[in-house]
Amino acid sequence: MKALQELASKLLSDGTVKVVIGYEQGPRGVRPAFITDPAQTSKLIFDRRCTQNLATYLNPRRKHIAALGKAGVVVKGCDARAVAGLIREQQITRDSVVIIAVRCGGVLEDPTSTAELTAETTSPRCGHCQVREPKLHDHLLGELPPAPPVNPRRTEQIAALEKMSAAERMQYWNAQLERCVRCHACREACPMCFCVECRAERALPQWVDPSPTARANRAWTMMRVMHQAGRCVDCMECERACPSNIPLGLLARYIADSVEQRYGYKATDDPGVPAPLGVFRTDDGEEFIR
Amino acid sequence: MTNRFLTHENLSKLVADLVAANTRVIAPVPAHNDPQKIDYATIQKLEDASFGTQLPRRSAKEFFLPTTEVLLRYRDGKNGFEVEEVPTTAKPQVLLGASPCDVAAMEIVDKVMNWDYRDELWFGRREATTIVSLLCSKMDDTCFCTAVGLGPDAVRGSDAMLMPIDGGYFVRVVTEKGEALFKNYGTAQLSDAMYAQARKSGEEAHKKVETNMPAIPADFAAALARNFDHPLWKTMALRCHGCGACASVCPTCHCFDIVDEHDDAQHGVRRRNWDSCQTQRFTVHGSGHNPRASQTERFRQRVEHKFSIYPSRFGEILCTGCGRCSRTCPGGMNLAEVVGEFRTLAVSAQEGSAQ
Repeated sequence: MKALQELASKLLSDGTVKVVIGYEQGPRGVRPAFITDPAQTSKLIFDRRCTQNLATYLNPRRKHIAALGKAGVVVKGCDARAVAGLIREQQITRDSVVIIAVRCGGVLEDPTSTAELTAETTSPRCGHCQVREPKLHDHLLGELPPAPPVNPRRTEQIAALEKMSAAERMQYWNAQLERCVRCHACREACPMCFCVECRAERALPQWVDPSPTARANRAWTMMRVMHQAGRCVDCMECERACPSNIPLGLLARYIADSVEQRYGYKATDDPGVPAPLGVFRTDDGEEFIR
Repeated sequence: MTNRFLTHENLSKLVADLVAANTRVIAPVPAHNDPQKIDYATIQKLEDASFGTQLPRRSAKEFFLPTTEVLLRYRDGKNGFEVEEVPTTAKPQVLLGASPCDVAAMEIVDKVMNWDYRDELWFGRREATTIVSLLCSKMDDTCFCTAVGLGPDAVRGSDAMLMPIDGGYFVRVVTEKGEALFKNYGTAQLSDAMYAQARKSGEEAHKKVETNMPAIPADFAAALARNFDHPLWKTMALRCHGCGACASVCPTCHCFDIVDEHDDAQHGVRRRNWDSCQTQRFTVHGSGHNPRASQTERFRQRVEHKFSIYPSRFGEILCTGCGRCSRTCPGGMNLAEVVGEFRTLAVSAQEGSAQ
């Protein structure tokens, strides 16, 4: 993508940014790229394989990246929501990052795939996407491609889970979480998991047992997803990162839907919209208190 | 050792007899939570197993070093503090159809498990397990077992290896354990044609991986150590999330953490759990100081440990070239690429000194 490469080259040459975080062709599919030299910007690409949410790399905890200096970051609409989240929750300031947004026609679930976008290969998060042309940006590139095919898998899975009894649902999640080894890859890949010290790692008091037992795996997963209420941008990076393929995106979607129903809040790329659990409103129904 | 030939029915009977005798049989199966993927798990009959074309998501190490295991139980009772240790003997189990890269890893890790302390839990399971590998046909362009002295046909760590040939399996018997397992099954009457077919399939499999990466040279460890401060570490580590997914799928990563968990005020257990040098918490001191302050140091540690530190201590590379870390990494890190970059530096250093 020529416009992207030219823009990155200009931003690096004139010193606006020190690093452009984008996508490149790696040994196995598309992967994140960190370009610091204007001569290297020809590596940058953007296509349907650019699945990763690069906003994760803006997390101020990532000292080795922060040390590079001011970043320009390539975002899709979904990723722009994560950048907005980081600004909303005061992890970064709006002027500390140059947002290079690209109009998006959907991405593959697997960035190492070479498939075309179909109802099976497209990320389930792309279905009915409302932010294919992000508003939060310093630069907006590309023409708006046609809407991607809808992958119905996750919607169907959630519908199936809702039909189950509580006992059946418990059985389903126990079977899934049996494979969790508590590597916490879900957390590390998540753009909104930015706590300096995760509750899972507090030993005094011990909030969650560190061992990957059935009980502790449930506690860890539920804690993480509850902490994502009103914050998750539904990029599904947790699910993609999980070496055990636990469908964490189901929980993420479910909690996002619950927040929308209860508080009328939907993850947005407008950092000015307050977080639903971070604002006091006199017209709040508060139905759960009674 | 006497090699044998087993038909599929013979192998099926072997599994049935083992299960009937209460021996746990572990084999690659469609994953419980995702049938598109493969896991090692307990089988009841041979038909449960999937010897297909995909490497299991995780290696087989969890059957020797479980993701979590109890080391001891403690109780603060009337007679003071009481400790109950767990038995270190394990029940017999058979690992069937394992990938040669996963099997070789066991022997490599044995060395550290019997270094300054003999890990009785590890060796209890090692001794109780008979390992039957399967000639690998699961290779893709991320594999590099041949570059670390192994191969899809390598029998290191195997008690026997199954090699599919016409009508069943050529069983290459490697140890007494393997001999004992197979002695009453199939036949030891092997034709030259059977030998020829087994040999040919082994050689063909080997060639398929060889083109992925040339053998890692003996001085690679020294080259890595020499380049400890090379700027490449920094640039390559940028995309690393520090999630440790690589270590959890790795057949040779063996680090663990030991924790006490309280059931109530009087009772508790001490467990050991898988751990990974890729996490920030792995090296953080009580003072808050962390000698591996950023992901650059943590990423370098994993590579140096595998290709420099372990070889200098135990004489061999702590990697079997399975490629799982590269397939799993959500950040697109690639171990073969890392090895390739530093190999280039090793070669150029040699050329420099020759001039």
